[in-house]
Order: sequence, then C-alpha cells, then structure tokens
Amino acid sequence: MSEFKLHHHVSELMNLLGVRSTDTVGAEVYTEMLQKNTTPYITTQVSAHQAKRKIAESSTTPIEFLAKYDELKGKNMRDLDPLVFLLSQLTDEEQTKKILEKQAKTKADEAGMTLLQHGKIFSQLPAPGAKITNQEFTELKDMLLKESKSVAGTTSTEILRKALREKQMKRNVNIPPQPEWLFQRPSLTLDFIVGVDEPIDQNIVPLGSLPLPMQEQAIIDDLLKCMEGIEGKYILARALTERYAPKEFMIDESLDPSVQELVRRFLPLCSNYSNVIRFIEEKSAFEYGLVNHALSASMRTLIKDYMVLVAQLEQQYRNGNLTLQKFWFYIQPTMRTLDILASIANSINRGECIGGAVLSLLHEKTSGLIGDAKCQELCLFLTQSACVPYFEILEKWIYKGIIKDPYSEFLVEENETIQKEKLQEDYNDAYWEQHYTICRERIPVFLEQVADKILNTGKYLNVIRLCGRDPKFPYAVEMVYTLKERKYYEQIEKAYSYASKLLLDLLMKEKELNARIKSIKHYFLLDKGDFIVQFMDMTEEEMKQDIDNIMPTRLESLLELALRTSTANVDPFKDDLKVELLPYDLITQLFQILTIDTKQEKDYRVDPTDLHLSGLEAFSFDYVRLYPTDLHLSGLEAFSFVMLFISDYRVDPTDLHLSGLEAFSFDYVVKWPVSLVLNRKALTRYQMLFRHLFYCKHVERQLCSVWIGNKAAKMYSLHSTRWYSAAFALRQKMLNFVQNFEYYMLFEVIEYNWHVFQSNMDSVSNIDNVLDYHSDFLDNCLKDCMLTNPDLLKTVHKLMMVCVTFSNFIQRLSASTSVEVETKPTRESSLQATKKDSKDTTSKQKMATKIVAENVDLLVASENFERTIANFDQNFSRLLLELLEKIMDYSCNSGEPKLHNILYRLDFNGFYTERLEAISAERATMDASSTHSSDTGSTGSWPTSSFTTQRPDSARYVPGLMKSRSSSSNNSTS
Amino acid sequence: MPREIITLQLGQCGNQIGMEFWKQLCSEHGISPEGILEDFATEGTDRKDVFFYQADDEHYIPRAVLLDLEPRVINSIMNSPYANLYNPENVYLSKHGGGAGNNWASGYTQAEKLYEEIFDIIDREADGSDSLEGFVLCHSIAGGTGSGMGSYLLERLNDRFPKKLIQTYSVFPNLDEISDVVVQPYNSLLTLKRLTQNADCVVVLDNTALHRIAADRLHIDTPSFAQINQLVSTVMSTSTTTLRYPGYMNNDLIGLIASLIPTPRLHYLMTGYTPLTTAAQVASVRKTTVLDVMRRLLQPKNMMVSTPVHRQANHCYISILNIIQGEVDPTQVHKSLQRIRERKLAQFIPWGPASIQVALSRKSPYIQTANRVSGLMLANHTSISSLFERTLNQFDKLRKREAFMDQFKKESIFKDNLDEFDNSREVIQQLVDEYQAATKPDYLAWGTQQASGSVDRI
Repeated sequence: MSEFKLHHHVSELMNLLGVRSTDTVGAEVYTEMLQKNTTPYITTQVSAHQAKRKIAESSTTPIEFLAKYDELKGKNMRDLDPLVFLLSQLTDEEQTKKILEKQAKTKADEAGMTLLQHGKIFSQLPAPGAKITNQEFTELKDMLLKESKSVAGTTSTEILRKALREKQMKRNVNIPPQPEWLFQRPSLTLDFIVGVDEPIDQNIVPLGSLPLPMQEQAIIDDLLKCMEGIEGKYILARALTERYAPKEFMIDESLDPSVQELVRRFLPLCSNYSNVIRFIEEKSAFEYGLVNHALSASMRTLIKDYMVLVAQLEQQYRNGNLTLQKFWFYIQPTMRTLDILASIANSINRGECIGGAVLSLLHEKTSGLIGDAKCQELCLFLTQSACVPYFEILEKWIYKGIIKDPYSEFLVEENETIQKEKLQEDYNDAYWEQHYTICRERIPVFLEQVADKILNTGKYLNVIRLCGRDPKFPYAVEMVYTLKERKYYEQIEKAYSYASKLLLDLLMKEKELNARIKSIKHYFLLDKGDFIVQFMDMTEEEMKQDIDNIMPTRLESLLELALRTSTANVDPFKDDLKVELLPYDLITQLFQILTIDTKQEKDYRVDPTDLHLSGLEAFSFDYVRLYPTDLHLSGLEAFSFVMLFISDYRVDPTDLHLSGLEAFSFDYVVKWPVSLVLNRKALTRYQMLFRHLFYCKHVERQLCSVWIGNKAAKMYSLHSTRWYSAAFALRQKMLNFVQNFEYYMLFEVIEYNWHVFQSNMDSVSNIDNVLDYHSDFLDNCLKDCMLTNPDLLKTVHKLMMVCVTFSNFIQRLSASTSVEVETKPTRESSLQATKKDSKDTTSKQKMATKIVAENVDLLVASENFERTIANFDQNFSRLLLELLEKIMDYSCNSGEPKLHNILYRLDFNGFYTERLEAISAERATMDASSTHSSDTGSTGSWPTSSFTTQRPDSARYVPGLMKSRSSSSNNSTS
Repeated sequence: MPREIITLQLGQCGNQIGMEFWKQLCSEHGISPEGILEDFATEGTDRKDVFFYQADDEHYIPRAVLLDLEPRVINSIMNSPYANLYNPENVYLSKHGGGAGNNWASGYTQAEKLYEEIFDIIDREADGSDSLEGFVLCHSIAGGTGSGMGSYLLERLNDRFPKKLIQTYSVFPNLDEISDVVVQPYNSLLTLKRLTQNADCVVVLDNTALHRIAADRLHIDTPSFAQINQLVSTVMSTSTTTLRYPGYMNNDLIGLIASLIPTPRLHYLMTGYTPLTTAAQVASVRKTTVLDVMRRLLQPKNMMVSTPVHRQANHCYISILNIIQGEVDPTQVHKSLQRIRERKLAQFIPWGPASIQVALSRKSPYIQTANRVSGLMLANHTSISSLFERTLNQFDKLRKREAFMDQFKKESIFKDNLDEFDNSREVIQQLVDEYQAATKPDYLAWGTQQASGSVDRI
C-alpha cells in the first residue's frame, strides 16, 4: 500500500470519527505510527475462531453476534476474519472503546437516530491511536461500506434477481427473457409440486391397519417416490415456509414406530434432493451466470446417477427383493453425496453468490474436505466443472485479450466509456488505468494472488488487438482447476510473460517507442541544438510578434524548413512535430496550476486538516503520483480540474500581451499505441520543459546579440566610454548565469536522467515499467529544473526578464549611438542621443510586463547610463542572490541534493559567496535588531552566521535589501 | 540554412595549417580528398554545411579562400590529393608571385592593391551562404603575407561585415630558436594591433609551446611542420566540433565565444588538448576519465601557449570552456567540476563570476581513437599578456636601433612617418595593462580611473 493511500485512509478515518487535528497530534503522527507498525495479517481458521469466541464472550448479545457472523460468512464476505480479529483486539482496549462509544452516540444523535444493530459494529470503530495494522484499515472501511449496502437491500432473491437483471440491462447485454410458460406450468419441475391438489386417493387406508410387511412395502414405495420428488401416499411433503428452506415431510402417524424411525432417517435424502433440484432449476436461469449454469449442469449429471439408482432400487422393489434394511444399505453413499450437494446449494443460495464468489465457495468447500477423499473428489468434480466457463473466459482473456463475459462474472471489467482516442487530447485521460479494472469481489479466492497479472496480461494483449493484430498465445493449454494450484498459475505466468513481451516488442521494435522518445527529446529537450538554433534564427521576427498576429501556418512552414535543413532531417519521425501556440505563458500555466490547486483543495476538502498539503506539495505530489489509481486523492482531482480549467482559460487580452515566444510550444503527433506512453500528460510535461528551456535559449541569444552589438567597442580602449566596462561586466554576469543554468539543466538534469532512463529501458520487461520509468524521467527533470517549485521558478523568471530588458536596452542604445557617432562623433552628442533613447526605450518598456516595472521606474528617474546599468546590476544581483539563497535553503531543507549542483556552477569562483555571506550576516543583524529593537547599537557585534548554516525560519523577509533599494530610488529622484 | 563559417587562409603558414584543418574535417565527416562522401558516411547526423557546401554534382566544397603572394605552398596543395577539393576560383595567387618578403608593410600594401580581387572572392562566398556567422582566419603573425595581408583583411572585413564574427587562428613565432625573419618583432607588433582592434576572438597558437609539446609530450626531437600542423589542426577541428556535431549547447560560434570574452579587447584565447598522440605513436594509451582530462587540461604543460608560469603569481583565468569528446557519463562532469573547485586547481578573476563551462560533444564516428575521452580547453587567461610583453621588449630593442626600417619606409603606409609603429605599441601596451588590471578586483573601475587621461589618445 502506498504512503499516500495510507495518508488518505488516516484522514478519512479521522474525519469519520470527528477527530480534529488541532488536537495535540496530527494525522501525520498516526500515519507514521501506522507505517511503523504495519504487519501483514494472516488469516487462519484458528485465530478467526478464537477472535469470534472472544467477542461473543464480551458482547451483551452473543447470539446475535454469532448469527450475524454466520450470515456474513455465509455470504462469503471478504475480509470478514480480519475484521473480527480487529474487533476482538479492540475488546481489550478499554479506553478506545469508551471514546468510540461516545463518538458513536454523538454521531447517532446528530443523525437523529438511535444506535441500531449496526451501531454495534460502528461503535467499535478503532480510534487512530490504536495499534492496528493498516491493512485492517481498508478492510474495515470496505466492511462498513458493504454492511451499509447489505442493510439497504433486502435479502430476497426476487429483488436480487430483479437487480441482477436490471444491472445486466444497464450494461446493455441482452439476456434472453425466460419464456412465460416456464413459470406458468408448475409440473415442469422435478421437485415436489406444491399447491396442486391432486384428487385424494380414497383407497388409502391408515398404515397402521396393515400388517408390518405390507406397511414396509407401502412405505418403501412411498420413499422411492419421495426420492424422485413425488409425494407418496403416506409420506406427504409440507409446503415450503421460504424459498430455500429444507423440505419437511409428514409421515403417517400410524406407521409402526420402529419402521417409522428408520423411514425418518431416509427423509433428509429426499429433502436434500428437493433442495438440489430447486437449486438446479433456479440457477439454470440466464441471469445467474455461467458459473452457476455449469455448476447446476454438473449437479444434474449427479442427479442423473441418482435417478438411475432410484430406478434400480425400484426394479429390486418390483422384483420383491428390496427390504427397508437393504434399501438403507444401498442409499448410504448417495446420502452423503446429496448432503454435500445440498449444503453447497444452500451456501450459494444464502450468499446469493454468482461467478467468482461461487468458485471461491466451492474452493473453500473442497479444501475443507481434505480428510474425506471421496467427498473431496466429488467437490473437486463440481468445482472443476463450475470452473470451466470461468476458465474459458479467463483463457480468452489471457490468451487473446478478449473479454467475453455476458453475465459480468469475470474479475476484469471493461469500462467502455473510456476511449483510447482521448489519450492524445485529454490531459487526465485514464485509459490505461481505467479502461480495464479488476473487480475485487469477483475474484475467486484461488486466483487472488494472480489477479493483477491476469488483468495486465489481457490488457497487454488487448492493446495489440486494438492495433489490428490478432495475438495468440502459442502455448495455449486448456486450464483446469486443480486443488494444488500449480498448474494454472504456471499457465497464467507463461501467458503473462508472453503478453508483456509481445506488447513490449510491438512498442519497442515495431512502433520504435524508444526512437520516438529520442526524437521527442531532440526537439523538446533541445538535443538537436543546430535545429533549435536554426529554428530560432528563422522565426526570430515571428516570435517577437503579438500572438494574434502570428500565422501558425507560417510558423509551421518555417518549422518544416528548419527540420529539413538541419540534422533533424535524418529523424524519421520529424514530420510528427507540430507547432502550437498556447494562450498562456509557461509561468501563468504553472501558477495557474498552483493557485487553483490550493484554492481547489480548500473547497474540496471538508476538513482542512486532512492532507496538509500546501500548493507546492500538492503540485509536486501530483507529479509524483502519476496514476490516479486512488481517485480520492485530493491533489489529483484538483489537478485534473486545473487542467480542465486551463483548457478553457483564455487570457484577458487587456491583461497580457503574449509574444509568440511566450506562447510558443511544440506539439507532437502520437498515434495509438504509442500514445499509451506518450500520452497527453507526458507531452504536456515535455512541453513545459521545452518552453522553459526555449526561453532560456532565447535569453542566451539576446545576450549573445548584445555581445555582437558591442564588439565594435574593441576599437576603443575599455575606458573610452565610462559605462562600457560596467555594462560588459553585467552582460558577462548574465551570460554566465544563463549559460550555466542551461548547462545545469541540460547536462546535469536532463542528460543524467536520460541516462538513467535509457539504462532502465534496456532492462524493462513490461509496458507498465516503461510507463513508470518514463514518468519518473519526466518528473525528475521537472523537479530538478525547478519547474515544480513556484518560488524558485518565479525568481528564475524574474532574472530572465531582467536579462531580456537589459539586452533590449543595450541593443537600442548601441543602435542609436552608432548612428549618432557617424554623424557627430563627439561623446557629448552620443550621450545626448542615448539619453533621448533611454527615454524612448523606457516609454516602450512601460508597456512590458509588470516584473520589469521597477526597472523602468528606476530608468525614468536615472540621470545617466551608469546609473541605469548600475540599477540593472543591482536588480540582477539581488535576484540572483535571492535565487542562490533560496536554492540553498530548498536543497538543505528538502534533501534535494541535485539542486545544490547549480550553486557550484553559478558561483564557481566564489564570486557570490562573499555577498551571500554578507547578506546572511546582514539578515542576522536585521533579525537581531528587529527582535531586540531596544539595543540597536549592538548590531555590529552580532555573530555573523555563515551562509551555509541554516538560518532561522523567521528570517524570510529581507529588510536590508528593501532598504537599499528604496534608498537608491530616493537618490535617483533627488 | 546553417550558420556558415568562411575560412580564409593567408600566407605560407596559414595555408599549411588550413590544409591540415581541411584534411582533418574531411576525415571526420567521411569526405574523400575529391570531396565525395564516402559510402560509410551517409547517415549524416553531423553538419557538414557549416564548413562545406555542395556543388551541383554533390561534391563537398570547403568554404575556404586560399590567399598567398607566392606560389610555393599553394602549388604544393594543388599537387596534393586534395587539389580537387577546393573551389579553384577561391584560390588566389598574386600574379607577380614575389611574395611579401617577410615584410608586414609589403604584405599590407600589396593587399591594399588586390582589394577588389580578394573581396570579389569573399563577397561571392558570403553571398553564397544564407546566414553567415563569421570568418575564420588562419595566418601567422611573424611573416609577411599572413601578417601584413591578414592585417589589411581584418580591417576591411570589420568594415564590410560589422555584424559578423571574426575569429583568427594566429600562429605566434617560436622564440626559442633564432628566426630567419629579422623583422619578426615589427611584423608581430603591427599584426597584434589589428588582432586587438579588429578580430573578435584570437586563438593563439604559440609555436614555442607547440615545439615544446612535441618534444616533451610526444618525444619528437625535431618536429616537422607536418607534425606541428597536426597539433594545430586537432585544436582547430575540436574547437569547432560543437558546431559540426550539434548537441544540447554551443551550436553556434557566438555561443562558444561570447561567454569566453567578457570585455571586447581581452579576446586572446589559449588552448590545451589532451591526450596528445600522433599518428606514429599509439602505444601510450592512458586511462581517460572526465576528471583526468579536465585536470590535465589545467596543467600548464599541456597548454599550447608558452607563458612563464610563476613569474607573477596573480595571473588568473577569466573564463574556461572545456569541450569534452567521447563516452562521457554526465554525472562525472559535475564531480570533476566539484573536485576542481574544492582543490582550487584553477584561479579565477575576482571581479565577476567565472566558471569552467563544459560542453559535451560527440566524436566523429569515422575516426577511431584509442582514448575514451579527450578534451580541448579554450581559456581566456591573463598570463597571455606575457606573450605581448615579450613582443614589446623585442620590438623596443629593434626600434631603439631603428634597425631594418628601410624596407618598411619603402611602403606607402610608412612613407611619411613611423607613427604606425608607435600607435601599435601604444595599443599593445594598453592591452598588456588591461590584462594586468584584469587580475585585480577593481578591474571594472580601472577603465574609469584612467578615462580622463586616455580619451584623446585614440
């Protein structure tokens, strides 16, 4: 069981019990406790029995309890024994019991009802503090759910039957209606006919009036009739009190007592016969399913043997050779047989079993008869024949990947509403997880261990089938139920490995999955650098445009051209690459996800104490938990909601002008069955990575073009223009940051994870592993590229914005100066010109995004370029230090060592180390002065902590920086 | 539509190393000496079109312009198997064929006269490429043609293609042996001025160091030109490998050099290569890991520039780019960087952030090497100024005596006065000063402090 599931259960339980986490201990504590104490619970007959006795002893109503237990047991309820065991443990925990009692009472009061019979179980709910295994948790929950269900419904078979029918109808499976006459003609049955008053034979004389031999003969005659389900003269069948009740008989009172005693011993046989016949006839109806049909058919053959016996006995009787004693002797073995048949019939009736449940029951019966070889053989026969149709379905499923299950008995269920076509479009499509699911209560006990394998085997084959292929397991052998579970396990195992290999081969070899992922990596992860460079060269103009002015078709053709003329040309899948313009930029997308996530979480959660996920956690959590196997998880649902929301989300045009660059992304056409792996979810994550990397590349390009623009400066010595050196140094800082950031992401994150992914892929054995590895790869990339951390990402984004603004500024500047220099090569005029230009640029920049706003303000106020450059520098350094610090904190606190690597790169020569130290020192002093506001004089002597040491959480705010910024703006305005 | 690079080969030395360079590129891309793609090299995940273009008959033709004032080297190229590789229109030989006589001024003046013809060729090549990124110039700074003509070309290229990059592979003279060119200090100084003011990136190939490496590392007592040129071509081809075998990053020339050169004048790069082997010597296969390679690259004895190491201890790296080829586990890169940082194996500038950038690059699949990993370092190191100081000293010695000035005075540029010498000296002295200043934390303020005094000097 996953940790998340455990979390969920704990919170669910706490909700149920109304425990507030404002109490001293929160949900996490319980979860942790549970995790530590988890031990697998092993059911044994003995322990269950003991537990049962224990509860019965402590209970005030032991009889009701035992009755309930038997009833549930009879219904073949899953996990009954573990529950009983749990309850028995609870009887020892006085404290817990008290709490629960109180809890139950208040709950009941709230609900406006008194404690009912089921309140007994309810009141015994464990408190979170109890030492219980987590396995029992789920069981308990399931139990309660089932309990409530079984209470809601009535046990009447009519209703069951109707319900079954309705269910079948809903599933759109045609169950042929039973002809009317089947019900109208009572004599069709082999059972005793009830309610038909035959003309009473007037010649019947009381038996007592006959001599003893005659009495015996008459009663033998009657018994033979009764054995065939016909009332005799002296033995009369009572009408049934209820449907499955055993038939009771009345014997003529005047019969000789000793004979009568012997005859009474015969009667259970007749009663059993009646039961079995009723069972056979009832369960042969369509809606009871193939397993029941098969079972009744095999019972019918046994009944046929039984009839032969009756016929032979009658023959003997006619010949006058049959005495009552002889008769008794002859029927001995048959009595046992019918006894077993009847008990099976009764159990099935009581439990309203169909399909897998029937098989489970038969299996248990068979293994229960371990000492009685003959009876076991009989049971085995029944089980085997009942298994035949089930195994046929199973064979079809695991050998061919087809479900042919007209009565929905099979353990795998198909959900036809989920279509594979959606894989390419829908972000949260759960085709792979949800199209075929295991129906837990339909699994026969003996297949429980291999249920998942069975599901997967068929799923794999089904995928191949959907590709228009007809997979056939070459070693298909008919499966037969055996008590020793070896044979069919091996068979399933074989089929599983065959299927997984087949699908894997299909995907990897034929559909070249790996080559496709590689191809995606070329484009989305910038592996083919020349292609990206070329594409960016060609689309430079387009990308600058507003999103509304860009023609996607033009981009498309440019992409085509770039693909053809770069090394990407050799990629056979290059034509699947498409251009997409998204109506939101990456940051908006990510923040949208995060904000809605947190908001949604609050709405969704009844109790905010539940999962204690901050937006951040919920987000990364989404990415960690890929498969929505447990849809209760709030994060996932919220996330899917977000994705839906985002697809409808349109940016308010007045709010944001997206340039092509911000809106641009690649898309990739994926066809079935590759879309299983490269589904929308994976592609979206590739896109996010791509947009992030693409933007970094763009910034790098901008800075490089500044470099080119400034290269003329080498004609003059460095000091010819005063601001040059500062500008160059700043550009170098930026370039150093951007390039090292790229190096980090590309080589240390993506290439490294790719390496891991590829080596995993070499050893992969089935498609589920492929999915896992692939998503792990993407998750790690996203995480280490800081795309899951809004805080870091925001800072990185701001840094990039500063870089872009800076390069725009310099480019405009140098363009204007070069013009001016040509006309009037004096320094003053160029200064004037550039001053004019700076105003020009600033007015333009005002249109730009908010993040740069502060720069612009400073720009307007600034007196000269030196100041402007200094401001850029200040902003950049501040943000960079902020980033470095955050990374440091983050990597320290979260134990993510990978992020720490970027520190090495960005601060390789220790240029920032000193400043970081200074900041942390300053912070420490500011912290000190704010906490001890009285002794401001002592700030200097406050011990300066090294930047590597963990600083207190309270020091998140950076007052020093704020102060310095405000002072600088003051200066500039004055 | 790649970012094309046009190679200009000037003079005896330039054409010799250029020829080796093209030989190397041809073998790396699987192109035969006739320019035809070999059968084994057709799958094409490399970019040939940065340096080659295809003729109508599918021949690959180098984007190269071969210029010389005397026929010897070009004739030897034209008699080699590679004769048909080049576009014959791009081979320009001065008609009188007399050469520049190892005189910078002669080369410069001759180039001035040949301007139209030379730029016809260059313009044609430039027009033939869709998005020209820049020029690569191969020459030596000591002779006549490479230095004089090269200087002239640098000036004109800068005027004509102001937005294109100009990278040079400049061979510096061997100072260990007495040169037959007596005016070498004059030539060097005058060329250095152009390299400083007109080139964007100068890869210094120091003959002194190359001979030393050949002797010490490869154990060749009297290295031939061919052997030295092989070292040069290795450096040249490796430094362009990320352009030709594209990977995640550094897929254009600007991306390679922009971060290496923070301020425009300090654009002299030194190189190092490891492991060094020659064709004759295969035996010494060492264990090569990323750390090994990166560590060796930082050792002065592997540098292809001879600078006195310990004379001034405060020389430092302005920037480093390592191009690592071969089977590299990406995790090793980080470990190596970490190790180098911890051990302080490299001293960096104090006035800005600097780091070792590591570009991982693919190797040519057609050339088998014994080593798993090999690496090239391109470094901007302040100690390169000692080369210029040396040149200045030698120049001063000659200039004091006014030695050999007659030849120079014959040419038009020195007809009136010898100001050009003084001007060049000034520029180089400034360059040396700037390199010195770059070792100090207040480098960025250095310019402004001197600004008042030096504005009108230019």
